[in-house]
Amino acid sequence: MSGVRADLLALVPDLGAWWYALALAPLLLAAAMLLVVGQWPTRPGHRVVHRTSLVAATVSAIGVAGVAVDRPVVEMSWIPSLGVWFSLRPDGLSVPLLLLTAVVGVVATALHLHPDREVRTVAVDLEDSDPTAPIPVVKGIDVPGLATYHACLQLVLLGALLAFLAGDALLFFVGFELVLVPMWILISRYGDPTSDRDGAAVRFLLVTVVGSSLVLLGILAVATATGSTDLQVWAAQGGSALGRSSQLAVAAALLVGFALKVPVFPLHTWLPWVHATAPTAGSVLLAAVLLKLGTYGMVRLVVPVVPEGFTAWAPLLAGLGVTGIVWASLVCLVERDLKRLIAWSSIAHLGFVVLGIASGTQAGLQAALFGNVAHGLISALLFVVVGGLKHRWGGADLSHGHAALREVTPHLGLALVVGMAASSGLPGLAGFWGEIGSVLAAWSPSPDRPDGWFRGFAVVAAVGGALAVAYTVRVLREVWFGERLEPRIPDAVLTERTALRLLGVLVLLLGLVPTLLLSITAPFVEGVLVR
Amino acid sequence: MRLQLDLVAVLPVLAPVLAAVLVLLVDVAVPGRRSPHLWLGAAGLLGGAAAALPGVWQPAGDTRQGLCLPDGWCAYAADDLTSMLQLGALLGALVVLVLAWPEWSAAGSGGGVEPTGRAPVVTALLLTATAGVVAVPAAGDLGSLLVSLELATLPTVVLVALVRTTWAAPRRARAVDGAVALLTTSLVSFGLLALGAGFWAAATGSTRFAGAASVDHPELLVLAAVLLVAGLAFKVSAVPFHAWTPITYAAAPLPVTTYLATVSKVAALGGLVVVVRALGTVEGTTLLAIALLAAASMTVGNLVALTQQDAVRLLAWSTVAQAGWVLLPLATLSSRAASAAGSYLVVYLVATLLAFVVVVAVAGTVRHGPVEDPAGPAAATALAAHRGLLRARPLLAVPLGLALLTLAGLPPAVAGVVAKVVALRPVLGDETWWLAVVAALNVALGIAVYLRWLVVLASSEGSPQGEGPAAAAGAGGDTDVRTTVEATTGPAVDVRLWVLVGLLTALLVLGSIVPLGTI
Repeated sequence: MSGVRADLLALVPDLGAWWYALALAPLLLAAAMLLVVGQWPTRPGHRVVHRTSLVAATVSAIGVAGVAVDRPVVEMSWIPSLGVWFSLRPDGLSVPLLLLTAVVGVVATALHLHPDREVRTVAVDLEDSDPTAPIPVVKGIDVPGLATYHACLQLVLLGALLAFLAGDALLFFVGFELVLVPMWILISRYGDPTSDRDGAAVRFLLVTVVGSSLVLLGILAVATATGSTDLQVWAAQGGSALGRSSQLAVAAALLVGFALKVPVFPLHTWLPWVHATAPTAGSVLLAAVLLKLGTYGMVRLVVPVVPEGFTAWAPLLAGLGVTGIVWASLVCLVERDLKRLIAWSSIAHLGFVVLGIASGTQAGLQAALFGNVAHGLISALLFVVVGGLKHRWGGADLSHGHAALREVTPHLGLALVVGMAASSGLPGLAGFWGEIGSVLAAWSPSPDRPDGWFRGFAVVAAVGGALAVAYTVRVLREVWFGERLEPRIPDAVLTERTALRLLGVLVLLLGLVPTLLLSITAPFVEGVLVR
Repeated sequence: MRLQLDLVAVLPVLAPVLAAVLVLLVDVAVPGRRSPHLWLGAAGLLGGAAAALPGVWQPAGDTRQGLCLPDGWCAYAADDLTSMLQLGALLGALVVLVLAWPEWSAAGSGGGVEPTGRAPVVTALLLTATAGVVAVPAAGDLGSLLVSLELATLPTVVLVALVRTTWAAPRRARAVDGAVALLTTSLVSFGLLALGAGFWAAATGSTRFAGAASVDHPELLVLAAVLLVAGLAFKVSAVPFHAWTPITYAAAPLPVTTYLATVSKVAALGGLVVVVRALGTVEGTTLLAIALLAAASMTVGNLVALTQQDAVRLLAWSTVAQAGWVLLPLATLSSRAASAAGSYLVVYLVATLLAFVVVVAVAGTVRHGPVEDPAGPAAATALAAHRGLLRARPLLAVPLGLALLTLAGLPPAVAGVVAKVVALRPVLGDETWWLAVVAALNVALGIAVYLRWLVVLASSEGSPQGEGPAAAAGAGGDTDVRTTVEATTGPAVDVRLWVLVGLLTALLVLGSIVPLGTI
């Protein structure tokens, strides 16, 4: 087996740093081209735009795969007067997230952008439902501003890849912030016109900017103390350059900043609204990639860099994480908007991730990193389904009558079942390992954590896991199951089916062979934590 | 005692002064001509910039000195930071001159010469003010500092007041109002400066800046520094000394506003840098006064800017907020702080100049458009006049967007991000956490400010989804102005403006790819 693997790897051409050109340049070029083309008086057809974008994302994904295999290192002096290097240095922590970004990027660009439509305002009951109601066109049609939309998607991907690749704190920060403006445009221009999309977009931008300014403070404080912005140097020094009080302050600034991004309870309030408003591809990217920037930042910039400060704040962080799990799961039991519901469940899953990080053990960190990637795949899958349903239904409100997915749209129905099952932590699917691992790690945390508290957290998190099963059952009962056949909606189109299959297979694969991912992250985790 | 002149070193200051004298002489020789003065002025500014250029690359620690006494002390000393500020001021003044060109060379009422003989007068004023600005950061003693500061300020008062005679009477009256506001505050600030200078001389026993470290009464020196800072804070329009800014900016002709918002700030910052460097030998101390000024300026400036409906007023208040950012590193009183503030100022200078150039260009298309606006010239600079600009004129909207993102400090304008980083670094090095947190929150506030403008730029006019993002952002209510930009393609924008937009945008893009960092 390993021989086959070695043979396969030997087939990969050794492009070295050119892999980066392959991974990043298509996105940049496509974004620039689409932005320019979008302003032309005679705009190109939607197919050209869509395919350009999809091809760029695919080529970039191939480049990312090459980077993941080869792991070339690039170091160039960038801002000499500040000692900042343009260094790209993928490792066990970033490679899974890079691959996730690449896959989700292909999915997001493949999805069709739906034009704004008239919205069904009255509840459809069985009596007054009109079986011949026009079936919405789901295939992409020429939406105004399609080129700009795709350019924004490319820029979001570029920023995320840059942040994950960065070996320098300031470069990480630039990538971290690069995603904001395009994401803001995606929400405010292409979001759901029936909800307050400008409010949602502004809220998204301001919340994340507050978070990132705090992150910047933390980064600069560490940079002035250590005299370097190199993340490797920071991790090697392990906070020895900072005193205890400074470590506490730096860790607080960084953790609050990243917690706004993740988001951790009680800083989560922006997420459901933004998710409910964003276009489908925007939601997919937000859940699968942007939120990961927050958890990635915690693991990269807090845990190894200011260990003492992190240890001090870890119980609080874990407590907020489990509160978020239970809170969000309870909300999921009553939430009437399906898209919001999925957003709330995201908060619950990220609570598990935060709990794993806070436990301070190798097992916990491994579980957290696994849960991180698993959540990315599952939430991307669910948002593809739910975004498609929202478009077909003309709104994601569960109180309107809907045809049972099992009967009318078997493809979407199956994907929803797989996604919700994985989301509830069913063994054999990707969600299971991250959550069970986090709970177990919290039960036996690192010796410098308060045992009793963490055991309590583990119990609460387990209860939250049970609640997840409850809301999964609720969603499936209301949406998937039943005898209703009206109003009929069309099933998944080709792009959706392909995307769902891709994500579904990955969810299943990670669930069945978790070592696939764990073996990649293990070296990093062993390097960061002793136990 | 023999004074060693070293005219080559002083050339950045001398060139504009010489040009000013020449402009006046030319006016005597060929009265009635309008454009030779402007060409002369441009040549003077370019000459000054060329003279300042070698100073930028001199190794750290070296200075270009002039007006030296035999004991080695010089009244004029320019190191690399100073030269950079001088270069920025001279080129900024050149941009202003190009902006003002059509207006200053325009004919008076009836097609004849302006009765005030404006073109030579305003050109000479601009040149002298710029000479003052260039001299400030190189000042070696209190006397030179005060004189050059006044030289930098008083001509701008006249520039604000001296508007075209063809303007409507109320508009001209408003310009005089603005000039009076500027004059009053500059006099008060001069009073404070003089008082501070007096204390300084009393504390150190000398009017020179060198050798402030060995004083008997450090508390007196700190008092002197606070007074000097307060006096300079007027010029940099930091809260609570900012009251003149919105009045004067809105009343002055647009190019003069641009001058006040950019080149004049160099004088103020140059003065601050001189003071801070003189104190800087007392390393590690934080001057609480500057920290408070910085925090208050950012917060108040951003909060008030959030409610402005006019592009120039918004930029005026954003200037107040940005003044806070320029002051921020100086709160730590270190030599690194001075170069951090200087670097921030350079980025601010380029971005603000670009924003003003675009505002002038847009105002030109509106003012000369076939739809004559009843609301007068104020409507030409209203935020609403920028609605849908991204669609109508992407080549103006994209540079403006880049400038605003730079001011906000948001990628893809990496230049702005790096500037913010540079400004924050000394504060965090000092672990002045409260100030750092205030600054961080103001990053978010500032983004909210510039975002309003960006939303207006990007809003699609006449979209079926109602008012679009702009209405929600609070820019609605100007529906009568809405027709201005989109109704017609409007008159072509002046080639000179395109060149400026292109050059400044190129500078910002270059600064984003290869950031300068600190000077």
